Amino acid sequence: MEVFIAQLLNGLSLGSMYVLLVLGFNLMLLVAKIIQFAYPHLVVLSMYVCWGMLKYTSNVFLVILASIGSCIAINIATEPIFRLLAKRHGLDINVSFVVSMSMTLVITDIMSHLLNYGFPIAFPSKWIGKSVIGFGLITFSSGQAYALFGGIAAVLAFFYLLYRTRQGRVLRAISENSLLSSIIGIPTIKTRVISYAIAGLLGGLTAIMLSKMLGSASPALGDFVGMKIIATSIVAGLGNLKGGLVCGLLLGITESMAIGYLPGSWSNAISFMMMLIVMLIKPEGLFGIKA
Amino acid sequence: MSPVLYYFLSLTGTNILMCWSLYLPYRVGQLHFLTVACMLASAYFSGYAARELSWPFALILIFGVLIGALICLIPSFTIGDAPCFTVVIVGLTVIFIFKTAVENIPALGGTIGFFGIPEVKGLLPLTYLLLAGAGVLIYKIDHSRLGRAASLVFVDKATAAATGVDIKRLGMFFQIIAGGLAGLAGTLYAFLIGSLFPEFFSLGIIGTFMCMLFVGGHTTMWGIIASIPILEGMQLFLPSSVASWRQVIYALTLIAIVLMLPGGLITKRMLINLTAKMFNRSDTGKASGTIDKCIK
Repeated sequence: MEVFIAQLLNGLSLGSMYVLLVLGFNLMLLVAKIIQFAYPHLVVLSMYVCWGMLKYTSNVFLVILASIGSCIAINIATEPIFRLLAKRHGLDINVSFVVSMSMTLVITDIMSHLLNYGFPIAFPSKWIGKSVIGFGLITFSSGQAYALFGGIAAVLAFFYLLYRTRQGRVLRAISENSLLSSIIGIPTIKTRVISYAIAGLLGGLTAIMLSKMLGSASPALGDFVGMKIIATSIVAGLGNLKGGLVCGLLLGITESMAIGYLPGSWSNAISFMMMLIVMLIKPEGLFGIKA
Repeated sequence: MSPVLYYFLSLTGTNILMCWSLYLPYRVGQLHFLTVACMLASAYFSGYAARELSWPFALILIFGVLIGALICLIPSFTIGDAPCFTVVIVGLTVIFIFKTAVENIPALGGTIGFFGIPEVKGLLPLTYLLLAGAGVLIYKIDHSRLGRAASLVFVDKATAAATGVDIKRLGMFFQIIAGGLAGLAGTLYAFLIGSLFPEFFSLGIIGTFMCMLFVGGHTTMWGIIASIPILEGMQLFLPSSVASWRQVIYALTLIAIVLMLPGGLITKRMLINLTAKMFNRSDTGKASGTIDKCIK
């Protein structure tokens, strides 16, 4: 039972990170009509920024600002490329996928060549923090606490923004019909840039919380997380925000349970296998495609 | 033959096969990365069968192709007509599962790699002979009713369905042929290179294949033949300090090509105009405009 509770807590923390990433990914898919495969890679790059800043300053505020700021800035910097792509190809999400996949190669190679000589990075123990709860096999670290509660707060804030504010209505209007939205006077380009900024903000927050929870990062982490996030989005139903919320949490819990009860690195393959089965049986996702 | 030239010719041959295996399903608008998983499975099967079971090369080659085709056959029942993006993620997921399996099976070398695959004499000429055979097969498919139906599916699925094209069966056909080609590529790769590493079958190699396909031109089978020697040669003959940034160069080239030359370096229109000039057929040139619009 202790193992189960410990893995459930792990799963919820991890799942909340997946939820944030799936939400950011789906937001760009809905509003900007792009498959930003490089989004998880940007998050990992922000973790590297966080690590780099920690080397030079102990000011937590500055570190967080730099990490989130870099994620927002780089994400927005990709917008003109996708806009040009939309002009040339129309809103073709497959072409956007090809381009964003190229971006992942650039980001991964930059991390492999220029940052820490390509070796994985380890965050200082002061940043990761000590165990908050320790009871038998159950340990709940401060990193996990940040991830879980920070994740919940960010998700609530995101849904509040989307369903309770004017900006949220604008975002939803564009996701439903961008042509009609522009006819009624909604600035589509500005709103798309805002969606990139919001996704960047979610990504930056995830980077901070992941750095506290995992305590390390490597260039390959982006590929790994990227595949999970996109597979989760498909399993949930592309562009389905509520589906993403449920499936992100489920993925985190399933993965943690597999780690707790299965040997070695097979656990990841099992969670991928489950996603594959769902994709093959229900290619449109469990909750239906919204994009 | 110098080792560099041997390596260059080996990789060029297997990469052309792999890119053709991506080209075929892309005829119906699907980026079928499952072929990379087929390559992985066939390569490891071939290595194991040759080193541990001492199977003859010809038998391994046949089984390698069959394994590739079988891996693509099973999911094709559900993803034969699935949207491109679902096909992409199914492919990536299977690659990851296979890679994890290889890394966790000590008999396949785990994360360290699989070495000591026996050499096969005269394999390089045989590779190019098989490549020519595969080329003829793809050419025949391209210029058959199936090829024309695929072009229609690429442009408009609804119209294709309305004209009686069975999109799912067509997709399945292209996926299975692609799997077979990838299986062949995997087997040849295992014997030509002599060692296998699970890390090779990652997003990096998919990006490389995508770059080769899109830079050469995804509307004809010939574009790949033009782009691969250039991109492979660049990696081998550039100074090592520049060549180590190969992925970045590939990725930036791909972005630039997609933005500026959506059809790639060699397009169908270009080939049709060239044929028209060569055989002095003025009518073919006029028709090319319509074809180009259809092809995109």
